Amino acid sequence: MADVVLKLDNFSVSYKTQKGSLEAVRNVSFELKEGETLAIVGESGCGKSSLARGILRLFPRNLEKASGKIYLDGEDILSLKEDIFRKNVLWSKISMVFQGAMNSLNPVLKVIYQVAEPLIVHMGMDKNSAFNRAKEMLSFVGISESFAERYPFELSGGMKQRVVIAMALVTHPKIVILDEPTSALDVITQANILNLLKILKKELNLTYIFITHDIATTSELADKVAVMYAGEIVELSPSENFYNLPAHGYTMMLLNSVPTLKTIKKLKSIPGSPPSLISPPKGCRFHPRCQYVMDICREKEPPMFKKGEEHYAKCYIGESHE
Amino acid sequence: MNNNEILLRVENLKVWFEIRKTIISQPLYVKAVDGVNFELKKGETISLVGESGSGKTTLGRTILRLYEPTDGKIFFEDKDITNLPFKELNWYRRETGFVQQDPFGALAPHFTVYRILEEPLIINKIGTPESRKEMIIKALEEVKLTPVSDFINKYPHMLSGGQMQRVVIARALIMKPKLIIADEPVSMLDASVRIEILDLLRDIQRNHNMSLIYITHDLATVRSFSDWIFIMYAGNLVERAKTDELLNNPLHPYTKALLSAIPDPDPTNRFKLREAPPGEPPNLINPPEGCRFHPRCSFVMEICKKEEPKEINIAKDHCVKCWLYKEG
Repeated sequence: MADVVLKLDNFSVSYKTQKGSLEAVRNVSFELKEGETLAIVGESGCGKSSLARGILRLFPRNLEKASGKIYLDGEDILSLKEDIFRKNVLWSKISMVFQGAMNSLNPVLKVIYQVAEPLIVHMGMDKNSAFNRAKEMLSFVGISESFAERYPFELSGGMKQRVVIAMALVTHPKIVILDEPTSALDVITQANILNLLKILKKELNLTYIFITHDIATTSELADKVAVMYAGEIVELSPSENFYNLPAHGYTMMLLNSVPTLKTIKKLKSIPGSPPSLISPPKGCRFHPRCQYVMDICREKEPPMFKKGEEHYAKCYIGESHE
Repeated sequence: MNNNEILLRVENLKVWFEIRKTIISQPLYVKAVDGVNFELKKGETISLVGESGSGKTTLGRTILRLYEPTDGKIFFEDKDITNLPFKELNWYRRETGFVQQDPFGALAPHFTVYRILEEPLIINKIGTPESRKEMIIKALEEVKLTPVSDFINKYPHMLSGGQMQRVVIARALIMKPKLIIADEPVSMLDASVRIEILDLLRDIQRNHNMSLIYITHDLATVRSFSDWIFIMYAGNLVERAKTDELLNNPLHPYTKALLSAIPDPDPTNRFKLREAPPGEPPNLINPPEGCRFHPRCSFVMEICKKEEPKEINIAKDHCVKCWLYKEG
């Protein structure tokens, strides 16, 4: 059995706002084994990007509190001092492909320099060996040497995304967080990038945390799926169970809203909109929108029930309760 | 209403945008739409599908005469509107509605919902203030922004993305147009509200027997939505067919590639690689000679590199632009 590389234990992040404290990530716990991919899905504003950035300590300025534990290879990295965290963890162990990063490449620097930069800045490498390693990484993601010497505006969208992936991998991290890596790309380019990510994962034995709102692309990478709603993980399941045996009311309704090409089914959207995180609803946070709502859902917050092998859901459906 | 009547006919439409590098050199053109032909009957829906940069938005906007066509003809109810001067276009603007991609940018931030919907009525001098109010309330009810009194005096920033898009649809609808062009109406919205907005658009289209052109890059949403699917690549319509025919029997290699690239929610996907043609759509200033898809095509032949294929009729309601196929 592969080792657990990353473990989150009751990780919470809250922000200060004018209207009060906002709990963007609430009591998130999960374990990730080496070589596994965890997909985090949810609507916009459910806290999935806050969670990902929180793992890397990339907090916004209005951070109020980040609590809980994050273990990387058994070591609690949330209690590390800032400079030690930056030196030993950030980029060298965990790196990230940011949402829309392909549009944030520096327009006046050659792409090879941008890929080599983390090596020079974070790992203290000299320029020549950093450039060589960047070149290797670029050809690994499918960008030829002639393109390495070009500027971002000379590359197409798919190539820029490849550059951004190369940037995240050049420091040889164990864990890569992918925040909507394909959301701005066309379907064919998206398929190419997902193929690349699959190949990279196999060859480099990477562990991915894959953040997306697109249920259909989730299946391209995920071994495990965590569904987030209003700051909480409401269901955590192996991906076979996620698609075939959803246990949470939200997951069921989410799956019913996905248009697919092959099957003809009546699609149903989820009424209403996600709750305010400043004053979330009592009981289960999803109950005002849930079509399976019961009396207990309005009163008592459901605990994490075990629904099957490595399958957990915060939902009363199928549970006996008084 | 006779449903076989042709509402819109587009013949060999070209839209080229001029760009000039220096004063001395010849002007260069971005051939965004290059020779497009199709007909749209009353009450029918077309989904126009293509990658970004394929010219689908340009085609939609040119049909609305928001861009000037370079060549070709557009007929609306047999009237040639291709070169009508701006001043004579008012009647055409009343007959057509436009739903923009980005609801956040499409609504004036300092107008209330009421004022946003009243604006087209004022411009077209329709009704009295009282009858306008009735029409606005009816339009809001139709897009299911109920109770109307909750929304009518709100400003756009007080609405969610889905609600804003409903206001945009209500605005397109209020003139009772015969044709609505919806340019990626749901791409900015969350997955859970997309289906709702698409269902709403389709219901409205059916109830009023309007024609609709739905522009999208997402083939997965079109199945239940449209009568026709047109596939656009690099300024050309490479394949046109009825929805079921196209999905079950795709002919053009590009259509096949598009269909196979669309992810389906299936947990076994993660163990296999998808077939996807390498590369990206061509530069439209200097598109490849012959068939524009040939550099990425896995069935490429000699003729594809030299001569542009003509559009041929493979079967009833199925046209394709590819050398692999012969007429009949």
